[in-house]
Amino acid sequence: MLRRPSRRNRSGGSELVELNLVPMMDAFVTLIGFLLYTMAFLSFVATDSPVPTSSPTELAEKLKTEPLQLTLSINKSETLVWSAFKKIPSTSIPHLPDGSPDTKLIHEKLIEIKAQFPQEEQIVFAPSSATSYDSLVRLFDAAKILDPTDPPIFKAGSSGVEEPITYLFPQITFGNLLSSEDDS
Amino acid sequence: MSRRALQRRKARRKLNRPFELQLTSMLDVLVIILVFMLKSYQTSQNNLAVLPGLKLPISYSTSEPRDSLQVIITSEGITFEGKRLVDFQTPVASEDQSYQFSTKDLDDGGRRIVPLFDALVQVKQQTEMLRAKYPLKDSAGNTIGFDGIMAITADRRVPYDTLRKVLFTAGAAEFRVLRFIAQRRDY
Repeated sequence: MLRRPSRRNRSGGSELVELNLVPMMDAFVTLIGFLLYTMAFLSFVATDSPVPTSSPTELAEKLKTEPLQLTLSINKSETLVWSAFKKIPSTSIPHLPDGSPDTKLIHEKLIEIKAQFPQEEQIVFAPSSATSYDSLVRLFDAAKILDPTDPPIFKAGSSGVEEPITYLFPQITFGNLLSSEDDS
Repeated sequence: MSRRALQRRKARRKLNRPFELQLTSMLDVLVIILVFMLKSYQTSQNNLAVLPGLKLPISYSTSEPRDSLQVIITSEGITFEGKRLVDFQTPVASEDQSYQFSTKDLDDGGRRIVPLFDALVQVKQQTEMLRAKYPLKDSAGNTIGFDGIMAITADRRVPYDTLRKVLFTAGAAEFRVLRFIAQRRDY
């Protein structure tokens, strides 16, 4: 036999439960404020360059093997890529019409040199006095970074197996710090 | 009772009724903002500063600079660790003007910046004194000496002639590594 449905159950079940969103909103607003406060809107990157030191014994040791000593001379109208020990033919790359170095061509030339000397990591910069910091930073990138679109270059690793290199010439030094006048 | 009085009473009754703010949509907005911020959140591992009007060059490099002493070169002068040391004689208004040092600020044949050299030497001596008193050791147990790293934050128009003087001064003060700061290129 069917029982009559309870009136109490029917009235209790139809009530809507409202979630109290105010404390949750408080927490979210606090979190957003905290994130905004601790966020770094300007991100920096760096290129390290060791200060050149002159030690006669080190120099004598270095000269025994005649290193590549790859040098980038940035003059008023061109960039010269050359080796102090004439290990590569000197290449002159004219500046762009706006007077800034042609970083694309310089990068391509450096890739070519790196393929010949995969163990070499050092490059010497000799900019003229008028070279701007902006041009220098773009040249750092061109000399250091190997793009994913660049042809792959391999060098023998410590285990004898050839491994791809990730940087072109990461050790950047300045070669004309001691001169006070523009020698270009 | 007039019709107007009735309307007024009705309006008053409407206002006195407790009303609830619809927070659900606002919470939706907050959640979206929070997710967006967490996605693009980045903190900095250094306390490098910039000055108003300084335009940094853009770089493709990915190496983030660690904390170090900082020199800022703007069109108006040279600042070291938040203190202005050198004022250029002619503030640069256009790109073709050169950054001129006062003759009293230079020595060693115009290569060394005297106020910057003094400040660098002072900081080096203070650091060495502190390290001697409270030696720092790395994870291998070796004593950490003065690292001699100097970060250079310069305006993109600063010529190498000015930079060279700063680099020479840092070398003369026995700083070993120069860290050139640029702004990361956003992809």
